[in-house]
Amino acid sequence: MSQATLRVQKISGHAGTVPGQDTQREPTVCKLIDTTTCIGCKACEVACMEWNDLPFSETVFGNTYQTMPETRWNYWNLILFNEHEREDGSLMWLMRKNQCMHCAEPGCLAACPADGAIVQYTNGIVDFQQANCIGCGYCITGCPFDIPKMNPKTHRVFKCTLCTDRVSENLEPACIKSCPTGCLHFGTKEDMLFEANRRAKQLREHSNFPNAGVYDPRGVGGTGVIYVLHDASQPEIYGGLPANPHVPWSVKLWKGPLKWLGNVAMIGGLIGLFVHYLRYGPKAREEEDIAPGGTKT
Amino acid sequence: MTNGWIDIKNTDMMLIMGGNPAENHPCGFKWAIEAKRNRNAKMIVVDPRFTRTASVADLFCQLRVATDIAFLGGLINYTIENSRIAKDYLLNYTNAAFIVRDNFTLPEDEGVFSGFDVKKASYDRSSWNYAGNLPAPAPPPAAKPGQPPAPTPLPPLPEKVEYDLTLQNPRCVFQLLKKHYARYTPEMVERVTGVPKDQFLKAADLFTSVRKDGDMKKAATIIYAVGWTQHTSGTQTIRTAAMLQLLLGNVGRAGGGVNALRGHSNIQGATDMAGIFDNLPGYLKVPIPADTNFDAWIKRITPKPSKPAQWDSFNYWGNTPKFAVSLLKAMYGDAATKQNDWAFDYLPKVDRNYSWVQLWDNMYNGIVKGMLAFGMNGVAIGPDTRKNIDALKKADWLVVGEIYPDETSEFWKSPGITQEEMKKIQTTVYRLPCAGFAEKDGTFTNSARWLQWKNAALPVPGDCRLDQAIVAQIFLKLRDLYKKDAGKFPDPILKLTWNYTDQSNPSLAEVLKEINGKTFVDAEDPATKVQLKAGQQIPGFAWLKDDGSTSCGNWIYAGSFTEAGNLTMRRDAGDPSGLGVHQNWGWSWPANRRVLYNRASCDLEGKPWDGSRRQVWWNEGQQKWVGNDVPDFKADSKPSDHMGPFIMNPEGVGRIFAPLGAFADGPFPTHYEPTESPVDNLLHPKQTHNPVAKVFKSADDKYGSVKDGYSIVCTTYRLTEHYHYWTKNNPMNVQLVPEPFVEMSVEMASEMGIRGGERVRVSSARGEYIAKAMVTKRIKPMMIDGKITYQIGIPIHWGYRGIAEDEGKTAKTTANSLSPAAIDPNAYTPEFKGFLVKVEKA
Amino acid sequence: MSHPEQIIPHGHVLRYNLRERLTHWVAAAAYIYLLATGLAFWSPWLFWVALILGGAPVSRLLHPWAGLIFSAAVLQMYVMWAAQMKHTDTDHAWWKAVKYYSTNQDEKMPPAGRYNAGQKFLFWGFFWSTVALLATGLVLWFPEYIPWNLRFLRYVSVLIHPAAALFTIGLFMIHLYMGLFAERGAFGSVIRGDVSIAFAKRYHPAWYKEFIGESSSPRK
Repeated sequence: MSQATLRVQKISGHAGTVPGQDTQREPTVCKLIDTTTCIGCKACEVACMEWNDLPFSETVFGNTYQTMPETRWNYWNLILFNEHEREDGSLMWLMRKNQCMHCAEPGCLAACPADGAIVQYTNGIVDFQQANCIGCGYCITGCPFDIPKMNPKTHRVFKCTLCTDRVSENLEPACIKSCPTGCLHFGTKEDMLFEANRRAKQLREHSNFPNAGVYDPRGVGGTGVIYVLHDASQPEIYGGLPANPHVPWSVKLWKGPLKWLGNVAMIGGLIGLFVHYLRYGPKAREEEDIAPGGTKT
Repeated sequence: MTNGWIDIKNTDMMLIMGGNPAENHPCGFKWAIEAKRNRNAKMIVVDPRFTRTASVADLFCQLRVATDIAFLGGLINYTIENSRIAKDYLLNYTNAAFIVRDNFTLPEDEGVFSGFDVKKASYDRSSWNYAGNLPAPAPPPAAKPGQPPAPTPLPPLPEKVEYDLTLQNPRCVFQLLKKHYARYTPEMVERVTGVPKDQFLKAADLFTSVRKDGDMKKAATIIYAVGWTQHTSGTQTIRTAAMLQLLLGNVGRAGGGVNALRGHSNIQGATDMAGIFDNLPGYLKVPIPADTNFDAWIKRITPKPSKPAQWDSFNYWGNTPKFAVSLLKAMYGDAATKQNDWAFDYLPKVDRNYSWVQLWDNMYNGIVKGMLAFGMNGVAIGPDTRKNIDALKKADWLVVGEIYPDETSEFWKSPGITQEEMKKIQTTVYRLPCAGFAEKDGTFTNSARWLQWKNAALPVPGDCRLDQAIVAQIFLKLRDLYKKDAGKFPDPILKLTWNYTDQSNPSLAEVLKEINGKTFVDAEDPATKVQLKAGQQIPGFAWLKDDGSTSCGNWIYAGSFTEAGNLTMRRDAGDPSGLGVHQNWGWSWPANRRVLYNRASCDLEGKPWDGSRRQVWWNEGQQKWVGNDVPDFKADSKPSDHMGPFIMNPEGVGRIFAPLGAFADGPFPTHYEPTESPVDNLLHPKQTHNPVAKVFKSADDKYGSVKDGYSIVCTTYRLTEHYHYWTKNNPMNVQLVPEPFVEMSVEMASEMGIRGGERVRVSSARGEYIAKAMVTKRIKPMMIDGKITYQIGIPIHWGYRGIAEDEGKTAKTTANSLSPAAIDPNAYTPEFKGFLVKVEKA
Repeated sequence: MSHPEQIIPHGHVLRYNLRERLTHWVAAAAYIYLLATGLAFWSPWLFWVALILGGAPVSRLLHPWAGLIFSAAVLQMYVMWAAQMKHTDTDHAWWKAVKYYSTNQDEKMPPAGRYNAGQKFLFWGFFWSTVALLATGLVLWFPEYIPWNLRFLRYVSVLIHPAAALFTIGLFMIHLYMGLFAERGAFGSVIRGDVSIAFAKRYHPAWYKEFIGESSSPRK
């Protein structure tokens, strides 16, 4: 038990310090998704469903090869397809595996008011603990990638777990294992960044993609899931990948300055009123309206 | 494949045409991605639509369905015009220098080769031959009484072929090739295929760049699937690719070759074991009625070397007698003796076409009375669904062995059959629950010719039975009946060997041992001095004899289950050369060679063209060929003996020109339009279609044309998320792609006012298909000979029985309601891709 | 409405009738629940409050319903009192003299009507905050139904909702201080409804004058 506690470095809605902070010498894990070699086969979608025993949900034809419009509370991993025309008129059929990005500075965790509903492990994985979730949906607002999805019946929120159960046993996530083309890689953030940059350089030099690059957005402190993109200057063409994701300003203001100001104001107010009473006491009492001699007016 | 799956990672250049490996072979496609990632290999995709494969390609050309020969012919022309030829390879390893007989003529404007008989709609192919010392033609064999007259046998190839190594003789193969494909200019390619000239030139330049300036180090591969085979010129399409690869010197090279992606996990095994009417196991040719005895048969099917006198040819098919006798010994054991012609009389003599479409046509015409359909959904998978259903209605009985009720096993429930009609159907249908793939052991032979044993993961559920148990029990019952009731000629049944431990449920390991073969007598290999005792498994086909002392169920599988054990079970992932050979993983035929014709990976001195991918080489000290792969060659043949690398051809060299009976429709491929085409043949308008393709005729075989209103070209294909017709029963697959759809271009949809998701009706002269429209940029309108032509595509995976179907969510039509029963004259594959339809809102 | 049976002690006048008092307490009860659960969601240090109020998920579930009840009560207050809460010149002068009010020198204040300027500020403060809290509260109640392209609604709501709540907390603290500690007799006015005449004369002279201009019997 105690080991498990020490492997947590951030806890949502938690008063006081996190016991596991700075106790583990553990590298950040990272999933590398090379969109330039993804063939959209959906083995990863199926692997996620199978490993997590997710129940089937209804789908309908949507004029695309995409399984459904967006991830769901019971569908955490979805390939987004986009037919994109380049400037020279040639066509690209972009396929991006969409799931939780496991941000280093997760907006969901920052927004969550419930103690222990969202945790970040020392290896960087961000995990929802549904037992502690209160169903408020603030995490939905905090996330710049539109990932957390709520089960309408139970009011608990779900998302990709980066197969933390597998990773804890030194196994790669289910999606990584199932990928037939080796488009998905898993390892330490350092190693995956190295590989990603190597691949991006190769694309720039050999494949006529001068803007190929790595997507590891600074606005959330970097992510546990990084992409190699043919064109890193236009992330939006990959099914709406945000160009500069960050925790929304209003969430930052709310949890930062407003929290501070509000607490100071409330406590200050209580103290102020108490001091005021000590100093000035109540307003004139009713008894003072009784005329000398004792008869009431 | 001549090469293998993992070998693809060794390539520098890929041409992927007539195939969509990212879609249908995602695991094998990994190796193409590895080549890109690790070698900066380039990938060119040519396809009627922008596929999943195209999405990771370096260059994509959209071409009109069924015009692949035109495109490839253009590539041949470009290769010759721009001298991107592997010169030494071409001269010495192919028949490019061979002189062709004077009476052979090219199609040119006529569109047919010499020897075409218009009345019979067939060729006299005797002019398709080399010049050389031809013997006097043999007299035709006497006709057997009561039999139709035997066909005049073809003359043989000359023993000594005339040749010109300068390639200047106008009658040499190379000059004829050049002349034939000179018509396939970039302009002509654009008019026929719709690929714009500059796009074509870009692709041609890129693909042939491996031989730029005489560079022999690089290797290019061609990868294809049924986008090439499912046409009335399917076989010739592959031929064109093979010729191109020979010109470029890519066959036999690591990362090269001509590579078919088989469409099912064990269809390679099926064809190896002769799941086809005109082969015996190991691709031996079946006997025909004109083969009056064993010797006549053997004489007809055993080639003799045919080559320049100074060259050497291994002519490995010259060992046919050993393969044939050993096969007959495996089938009939002691009942096959020298005295009774090795039980040759027990073999059926194949007197006509019994291919798949022909059988269903026979059933339609009342000739075939009943059918056993094992894991084969004929109604949905065959061309012209309505005809196949009508055929089943006429059959007396149908046995379906399946894991789910499918369209065939419920053919009376197809849409359009009324209650009254149902009552009139007399067919008795037996539905046998069979085992699924995870419940069976045995081997799968993959596209790379690797036999890999698999164990059953689950027990067979309920009343289901294994395939071999069903077949065995039917056989044993038949044998009993023959024992009791004799019949006309019971010997082939009664004398068939059936020595399994459990006769009614044979162990597949025992069957594989039988296929591998054994020796009945003590034997020794004179070269290696290895000895075998009587009854032991033979180590390979080199041990086979034609004296009845060996038995072997399939000579190409000899070596798979030796005294060392079941080699198909090996799982050693070691690969010391890094070429992806993995010698000790499974077992590949022939003789565990992974890349065929690998002697051609070396120059005339026996030195590899590319030192960084050394497959085999001549070892002067040991005086034999050695290497990281098993040499596909006579091990001790010195390079100076000039033995050809293509040991299965009588010439010993690759065939740029395919002589005599090799192909029904020509020694060179020429472009023919599909049976239903939007245009005339621009190369030779006098002969638009393949003159010897078989086009079936009946009340249910109707054909449409542009003037009938069918102006849109249609093709059919598969999706990653589904597998033929059974995954529509699996909730996971249904979730991924829940409904049938028709892919069409944005322009066509806009012109017809169709929005994505709207129901459309696609109809051909044969039937209709109703599904939702997928409006996409991935299929663009094409300019064919200056006219706008639309193409649409239909994934095949739906029918009238499945999860969505049973819930009434689909229109319950099959894609093959649309396709025609017109077949390739060599492999008899139906034309599932490239027929005419019309589209309207439903 | 008239309650002839309602007994007003001698020397007292009715300030708030039954409807007004009930509305006030419905609002008060809802507000206290909203405050308690709201503070639990506001600060991890107070999260335990939600736990003792039936658990955090239950608190999350009931908080918006209490919000609806509170909004209904405030709406009712608007119906009852908005007309009496208009800003007048007296209010202007009252604010100018507010330092006397806060140092308990009430005799220096201009004569307030039924509601003084401070009370009017409380009323409007709560009213508009409730509007903001209701609107943002609805967004925060169903965040999963706001589509991605309207996410700015969520962003605005997570900021405005707590900001408005804090404002009402400020108002609430002063309101409790005034009602429980500073103004003796005020609490009784919202329980039994009556205040002494002295109270009326001291704190709401203009209202009292208007009042005695009519009969001394209870009026609506």
